[in-house]
Amino acid sequence: MKALQLSKVVFGAAAVFFLLAPLAAILPLAFTDSVFLNYPMPGYSTRWFSELVSAEVWRRSIVNSLIIGSGTTLLATALGTLGALGLRGRTSSYLFAFVRTAFLIPMVVPAVVLGVGMQLMFARYNLTNTYLGVIIAHTVIAVPFVVINVLAVLQSIDPRLEQAAASLGAAPHTVLARVTLPLALPGIVSGAVFAFATSLDEVVLTLFVAGPNQRTLARQMFSSIRENISPAIAAAAFVFIVGTILIALALNLSRKSLGRRPAA
Amino acid sequence: MRSEGRRRTFVSLALVSPLALFLLVFFAAPLYTMMAAAVSDPIAARALPQTAEAIRSWDGETAPSAGVQAAFAGDIRNIDDDQLFGDLVRRLNSAKSGFRTLMSKTRSALRDDPSTTDLVAIDARWADPAFWQAIRSAAASTVTDRNLLAAVDLERSPAGRIQAMPEGTSANGTTLVRTFVVSLIVTAVCLVIGLPYAMIAASVTGWRRQLLLAAVLLPLWTSLLVRTAAWFILLQDNGLINSALMALGLTSAPLPLIFNRVGVVIAMSHVLLPFMVLPIFSVLIGIPKNLMPAAASLGAHPLRAFREVLLPLSTRGVVSGSLLVFMSALGYYITPALIGGAQDQMISSVIAYYATGAANWGMAGALGLVLLVATIILYTVYLRLSTDERVRQ
Amino acid sequence: MNESFIRFDKVSKAFGTLTVVDGLDLDIGKGEFVSMLGPSGSGKTTILMMLAGFENPTSGTIRVGGRQVDGLPPHRRNMGVVFQNYALFPHMSVAENIGFPLKMRRVSRAETGERVKRALDMVQLGHLAERRPAQLSGGQQQRVALARALVFEPEVVLMDEPLGALDKKLREQMQLDIRELHRRLGLTIVFVTHDQTEALTMSDRIAVFNHGKIEQIGEPAAIYDRPATRFVAEFIGETNFLTGTVTGVGGGHATVDIGNGRSVAVLAGQGLAAGATVGLSVRPERVRIGAGPARSNTVSGTVEDVVYHGDHLQVVLDADGQTLLVKADRAGSPVAIGDRLDVSFAPDECWVVGS
Repeated sequence: MKALQLSKVVFGAAAVFFLLAPLAAILPLAFTDSVFLNYPMPGYSTRWFSELVSAEVWRRSIVNSLIIGSGTTLLATALGTLGALGLRGRTSSYLFAFVRTAFLIPMVVPAVVLGVGMQLMFARYNLTNTYLGVIIAHTVIAVPFVVINVLAVLQSIDPRLEQAAASLGAAPHTVLARVTLPLALPGIVSGAVFAFATSLDEVVLTLFVAGPNQRTLARQMFSSIRENISPAIAAAAFVFIVGTILIALALNLSRKSLGRRPAA
Repeated sequence: MRSEGRRRTFVSLALVSPLALFLLVFFAAPLYTMMAAAVSDPIAARALPQTAEAIRSWDGETAPSAGVQAAFAGDIRNIDDDQLFGDLVRRLNSAKSGFRTLMSKTRSALRDDPSTTDLVAIDARWADPAFWQAIRSAAASTVTDRNLLAAVDLERSPAGRIQAMPEGTSANGTTLVRTFVVSLIVTAVCLVIGLPYAMIAASVTGWRRQLLLAAVLLPLWTSLLVRTAAWFILLQDNGLINSALMALGLTSAPLPLIFNRVGVVIAMSHVLLPFMVLPIFSVLIGIPKNLMPAAASLGAHPLRAFREVLLPLSTRGVVSGSLLVFMSALGYYITPALIGGAQDQMISSVIAYYATGAANWGMAGALGLVLLVATIILYTVYLRLSTDERVRQ
Repeated sequence: MNESFIRFDKVSKAFGTLTVVDGLDLDIGKGEFVSMLGPSGSGKTTILMMLAGFENPTSGTIRVGGRQVDGLPPHRRNMGVVFQNYALFPHMSVAENIGFPLKMRRVSRAETGERVKRALDMVQLGHLAERRPAQLSGGQQQRVALARALVFEPEVVLMDEPLGALDKKLREQMQLDIRELHRRLGLTIVFVTHDQTEALTMSDRIAVFNHGKIEQIGEPAAIYDRPATRFVAEFIGETNFLTGTVTGVGGGHATVDIGNGRSVAVLAGQGLAAGATVGLSVRPERVRIGAGPARSNTVSGTVEDVVYHGDHLQVVLDADGQTLLVKADRAGSPVAIGDRLDVSFAPDECWVVGS
């Protein structure tokens, strides 16, 4: 029994190390003052963060990521929330089961396959090399996350709350605005965050449909790793990881405060 | 009073229709376009309409009649779009080499003498039925299975039979096999680490479980680029791993860890491990805690109890997790592209090469179709498993 | 009952092939408190849902105040509904919850504040106006739900097992409170419950449902003392159900042979004929230990079990194959298992229900 316990601890620790060590390893390199992305670091500096903001390619890519991420978040959240509202309470219908599967399938289709098709088709409608094209491409793979999140929260709402609102004199659109949507807000917010994160991290579709003017941060990191790796990557990774943690915290906070918002 | 139900259905349909329409146009249509590109072959039929008509009655053995030759000459004279002519030459040359010189020679000769229809007089190769067979098969139809066959290293013989391509002419089959092998290895690695990991996470409580779950979720939420960059830093010749190994005296020269299979497997396993751990974990925590004590009270040794009770019950999670990992690994692009060498490129890289590098949409589409079909089949099995689960609960 | 205010006319409801409500005819008067009582699946909640407008009848019509309401959406029916789990809006304060129906009716802000305050005072929760539902106890949530359903002075108040989630003591208090509100405000209340005590305590009339049909409708005492069917007799309270054959009829009474040649005299309704096989219902608390006065029915049997219930004893008697429950006073002479015992009940306390 002792040996089993010990091997559990050793294995667990080793696996946690395997999972987290790479992330821990890259963070300090953001503060190196060397041009090499490696240890040991000769000294500390914030030059690579300055590079991130001052170098045209990096600065541009950060701005592009924000533009495209916001566009994707808006489009995916709007479409996904509507879709989830339509799918709600439709578990027994074959038609809607099919629609539901269809809404989630962009998540599983390999990005390269979708990218080839999008490049071919978007070229016909002059959508390649445009912001709109990239936003649309990102929305396709971000929207399943919105549907999943919003649907989950909608299914947790007691339908009697909406019946109660109706019995108290609220017309269907009032029920939606005053009861359903406020209660679904946490799911809509986390869906939106997922959509933004998906867009931020997307590389493959961007490779196929974006032009040089729509180069995103992730796309810039991709070519930088491929062509001339520099500690600017680590600085960008630092921004990403800190951003992830901040978003996770914000999400947690918003969930809590939405749960017990003081009376307005 | 059926109208109430019908009104609700109508409202639901109205709500789902914007997204359905959006996905139809920007998801389904691109996939269809890609598949159509895989089988579409309209060039010859479009460039050679009269020839396609005339050559139908040809016996295929001897040089074609003067009528066929005249039709072909007429078609060539009618092509004033150089782009179309170039596409036609490329299409014919891919079926039989020699067309490139033959066609340009023929075209200029036909231009110089607007009345001649005697092709054999222009070039003796026009007496060879092999060239005409290529023209006939190219012009006969606007769809082709050439790309699909080539995707799995097959071709059609001049007589139209499907046969293996000559050794060394295409590497697609090798790439497909490599993709499957790498995906299988990654799945196995994930299973070997992920199954015990999930079991440990399910068996502990409190901060230990929180830590184990956070260690899985944090990488999952972290950008794929960041994780790949991290592995790039760790695995390089003078990276942390090699420095550590050399400092410990375990090796005198850096081990080759990057731009090869080892690096790809390590980095992909790290990226996909959460997809193995989470399904197994969710199955395991659904198993009542008192089953193992019950087995023990009935006389089973802990290892025996594990094999007879816990393992069978976790099978569904293991299968779901493995399918998920394998399915994702098949389509992986970024990690092999950045960590792998030329000999480790998976099917996605080849598709990307055909599409962006070679502008060969037919081949890109055909390989894409193969990957898409494999993925959809695996996903269907996965869905079936998870719905079964829901029904049983 | 005065003139009909709510009228169900041959109302049926089917879900697929399953008929949940089967040809219901029911009239409810203005200001009346009617309980729908029945086991789960008997259709009572579906009837409430149809009245509130959340379900539509498969056939038949429902009228309220002479106006047909089928097809009218719930928000235009002006009915206060109190739901099983209260259905308070978790994202609104108590005051906002109660003010909601007034807001929907575009009542002015000042008047809304005034009426919400009055409604809160009515349920004695004035001090909790700014709390969230999650911060209230079950009983308090119940009161808020009640105040919300009453604040807009609806024509009808529908209650769907509103007290089911409360503990016994609180439930009994709320029963009295609701009855008092009904009387004071002259409300028309349709109350769904599966708890017979609740129905007996609160209602003007009780409709007992089984398999989508009304088994019996009437005032509580009539339902209890004169159950129309075995189902009603057994669903409402505890009863002894004896079977026998009618041997003679006359003078509002009948003689029934309950086996082994022993006859009992019972109250008889119309249309009873000699030779018919009938069932008899005798409430356990109407059976006394010991032989009764003349003309009362005396049955003897062997004591099979004695169960202590605190305020009384329950004696289980085997009277030649028919089981009799007796609710016995603790003060009486001690009874032991195996004792031979005579018990008696008056003819007027035995009721023929058909078998």
